[in-house]
Amino acid sequence: MLINTGVPTREQIERRLPSPERRARGPYAMVECFQEIPCNPCSTSCPFDAILPMGDINEIPMIDHDRCTGCGVCASVCPGLAIFIIDESVGDGTASVTIPYEFRPLPEKGETVRAVNREGCVIGDAIVTRVLLSKKTKTPLVTIRVSDGLVHEVRFFNLIDDKAVSDATSLKRKEEPITVDSACASDDDEIILCRCEGITLRTIRDLIREGYTTVDEIKRISRAGMGACQARTCGPLIAAEIARMTGQPISEIQPSAHRAPVKPMPIEFFLGGDSE
Amino acid sequence: MGDRRITDHPILDFDEGEVIHFTFDGKPMEGREGDTIASALHANGVKVLGYHFKTKRPRGFYCAIGNCSACLMIVNGKSNVRTCTEPLLPGMVVEKQLDRGVPDDV
Repeated sequence: MLINTGVPTREQIERRLPSPERRARGPYAMVECFQEIPCNPCSTSCPFDAILPMGDINEIPMIDHDRCTGCGVCASVCPGLAIFIIDESVGDGTASVTIPYEFRPLPEKGETVRAVNREGCVIGDAIVTRVLLSKKTKTPLVTIRVSDGLVHEVRFFNLIDDKAVSDATSLKRKEEPITVDSACASDDDEIILCRCEGITLRTIRDLIREGYTTVDEIKRISRAGMGACQARTCGPLIAAEIARMTGQPISEIQPSAHRAPVKPMPIEFFLGGDSE
Repeated sequence: MGDRRITDHPILDFDEGEVIHFTFDGKPMEGREGDTIASALHANGVKVLGYHFKTKRPRGFYCAIGNCSACLMIVNGKSNVRTCTEPLLPGMVVEKQLDRGVPDDV
């Protein structure tokens, strides 16, 4: 599920693909933008007016694939790096994916890289066929060639000599969806949950087991959330731990009471300025 | 100096500003125009900005946007300055903070 994992479903992806005839004809933009957010650089930057004007800036961009030439302007301006240029018309059993790549070092043309899917797993090899630098947008566009069966899966790549990255992605991944339960459940009870007051996760868990099941109750008995940051860091973590241990949805957990000022202020500010 | 600064960033350009001199726990250090106190300290290799008043654990950059108060230090004698967002000025005297801080007048 997109909302939990950031990975779109097969159905969501297929809905954004152009017709098979259009896909065979040449490169096209694949807009993997699935949530309504106030953002429109793709539609205002398209030199062919192929990304339809948005009546409301929150609209999800829609493409007229007959006008789209796969030029890549939208891919380099999308702040979410959500647009890819796919070319399935190569015809030799390979296809190319153009990826906005805001990392250093850049790969070189001809370099072999590891093709990575939307979940972040390495699924094959790819050859870099183009590295396009734009002075205007600064987002480099890297085109890689993969076997055509992978073109709808590959959305990123790792450099081969980047050992830290390849170790991380080769780790076995959990199949089950990420939930409050799995995302927040730490095995280490000694981690500090409230950094300002130095309160450990163990203390919070013990209190929840004793029956303190609101953020405010935990705050009053332990001081968690009463330190310098005023619960801005630990508040959501405590709420998540309560939700996890009591089995309630996190939306049901009330945050602790907040009072002005929202940000820490020197007392002289309230006294009218002059502290002398 | 310079080793810890990003010089080649895919999107952003960082202009090298004027050198600003300041001291950290008595040691003279150099920052750059545009630095916050904590960013200048990081550029100088200082990662421990203070110690927690109760647990005595080292404190460093955490949120870096003035939200979490992990980077509180004593600046020009004033405690509880959020150094991650406080601009670095010439001649600042910056010290680690080990306690909850003291009011200016005490």
